[in-house]
This record gives sequence, structure tokens and C-alpha cells, in this order.
Amino acid sequence: MELLFIFEWLDTSTLAGISKAYGGVFAMVQTVHLVSIALLGGMVLVSDLRLLNLLLTSVPVPQVMDTTRKWITIALITVTLSGVYQASAVAIKLYHNSSFWAKMAGFAMGLLFLYVVKWPLLRHGVDSLNPWTVRLVAVASLTIWFSVAATGRWIGFS
Amino acid sequence: MVNEWLLRLATWLDGQQWSTDLHESYYMYNWVESTHVLTLMVFLGLLLAIDLRMLGLAFTGTPASQIADRLTPPMLAGFVVMVISGLVLFYSIPVRTTQSVWFRIKVVLLVAAGINALLFRNAMKRSVDSWDTDSLPPARIRWGAGISIGLWVGVVSTGRMIAYDWFDCHKEMPDFMYWAAGCVVELASIETAGAMEE
Repeated sequence: MELLFIFEWLDTSTLAGISKAYGGVFAMVQTVHLVSIALLGGMVLVSDLRLLNLLLTSVPVPQVMDTTRKWITIALITVTLSGVYQASAVAIKLYHNSSFWAKMAGFAMGLLFLYVVKWPLLRHGVDSLNPWTVRLVAVASLTIWFSVAATGRWIGFS
Repeated sequence: MVNEWLLRLATWLDGQQWSTDLHESYYMYNWVESTHVLTLMVFLGLLLAIDLRMLGLAFTGTPASQIADRLTPPMLAGFVVMVISGLVLFYSIPVRTTQSVWFRIKVVLLVAAGINALLFRNAMKRSVDSWDTDSLPPARIRWGAGISIGLWVGVVSTGRMIAYDWFDCHKEMPDFMYWAAGCVVELASIETAGAMEE
């Protein structure tokens, strides 16, 4: 599917005008993006290490999931908003960047995994699930989100 | 005096073959930088989780000491790798980094964050028994957690800014900025020009 028109539109948008004109604001938004990634990574780590019985083992799983779900959602919103702002400054360049597409594929997979697999599966409690299913979910989640962060860093190197 | 000494050290590091090789190696340099960012995610992410508990905003149903005790070891593991990879990154570009005003602010903020962490931890250990299960910890603990988040956001922000050349020594900028960035050569030129005018 040809998606270039979206990037061309973004490149000429008001947002792009602002992001290209104000380098200081761009740098501040990068900070928001990095801190949001850290928040997302930290909460994913706590949630998945709990599922693997490696962290906070005395705290019930639903309690950990409730808190981490809230902060993961906040982090996903700020990561997306700050990411779109940054993308607007270099939209056409990003369209031709393979690391960017790897990150977007990972990000889409991460969202699908969270909203379609992990959270619906855990809604009924871990006791009703096969322990290996729970472990597999945790390892898959960690792998996806750390890959998203790593490929994101490689955008700048490509 | 200190700036001259730092520049001499940075120039000596810059003259080493390993420093050049690392800087010029596409994959090695980028893997070290990726490691730095990934471990920042582990360290800062877990620190945020602890601090949000201390602010009464997350894990409020779990004793604060339990969150701090359990999350601190993996957080410190992330911190150690983050510092090592940060030192390697410094080693690969020592002269420009030494003369970066952002790097200098980052180091000051890192020291401040370390002092705050020590004071915060001591204050917490002394009093935690009286509020451990409270969903909202006392004001002084919340202040410590807020300052911790603020300082670390500052560290991330200034770390990110190092990549920008707005205040590099070769740029035209106010004398104060040459001093803040430790631009030894430029400061000497300004002094010489001032002496000739007199």
C-alpha cells in the first residue's frame, strides 16, 4: 500500500512548520519522547517480570496489571504524540528509512499484542491459564517492546 | 585551570587508536549508543515506577518499602550498564563532549540526582514504618520523589542536547558560554584581544 501521500501531507502541515522552525522545542519534545519510552519500558518490565514470577512476587498479579495498564496507556499516548511531532520535521526522510518502518511494525505489533492478546487474556486471572502461556506472553511482550526501542534508536543512524 | 586540565585529558584520550576506531565504527558505536538508550529505559523506567509510588500515584495498594526494595536491584543493574556505555560513548568523542555545555550541565545534574537519591533513601528508611502502607506518603517523601524525577528528566534532556551544536566552541556566542563550555582556545583569544585593546 502506497503511504507516501500521508508523509507528504505531514511534511507540509502546520505541525511540520513548527517542528522545523523551532529546534529548541524539537529537542524538548525528544526529551518527552525518551522519558515516555522509559515509562513505557519500566511499566512493561514490572508487568512482565511479575508474570514471570521474578519481581514483586508477593503482590497479586491483578494489582500489578491494574497499575501498569494505566501508566502504559499514558506512556503510549505521550510516545505517539511526541513521535508524530518529531516525524513531522523529517517526514519524507522517515518514509525512506527502513529502521523507521521496523519500529512502526514493532509498535503496531506491540499495540495489537497488548490490546488483543495480553490484557484480554489476563482479564480472567492467571490461575485459569497454563503457566507456560503466561510465561510466553511475558517473554513475547518484553521482546516486542525492547525491539521497538532498539529499532527506534537506529532510525537516527540510518 | 580545570578546563585546561580537562582538555589535556580529553585530547590524550582522543589520540588513542581505540577512541578513533570506536567513533568511526558504524556498528560498534551504534550498538553502544543503543545499549545506553535501552539501559536508560530499564533504569529510568524502574526509577519512575518507584518515584510514582512515593508520590502516591502508582502501586498505592503495595507497601512503599516493598516497591523500593524489589525494584532497586534491577534498576541498579540498568544504571551500571548505562554508566559503562555512557563512559564508552564519552571515550569515543572526548574533546567535543568535554567542551559541551550540555554535557557539563548533565554531569552537575547527575551529581545532584545522586545526592538527592542518598538523602531520599535515608529519609525513607528512617520513617517508612510509620507510613509504609499509606497510599499517599508524607510531603517530604513526595518532594524527594518529585525532585528525583525532575533531576533525571534534566539528565535525559541535557544528554539529548549534546548532539546539537548550538553552543559548540567554534560558534559565535556570548563570552559566558565560552566559559561555561570550557572553550580554552576561544577564551585565550578573547583574553589576548582584550589585552591588546588596553
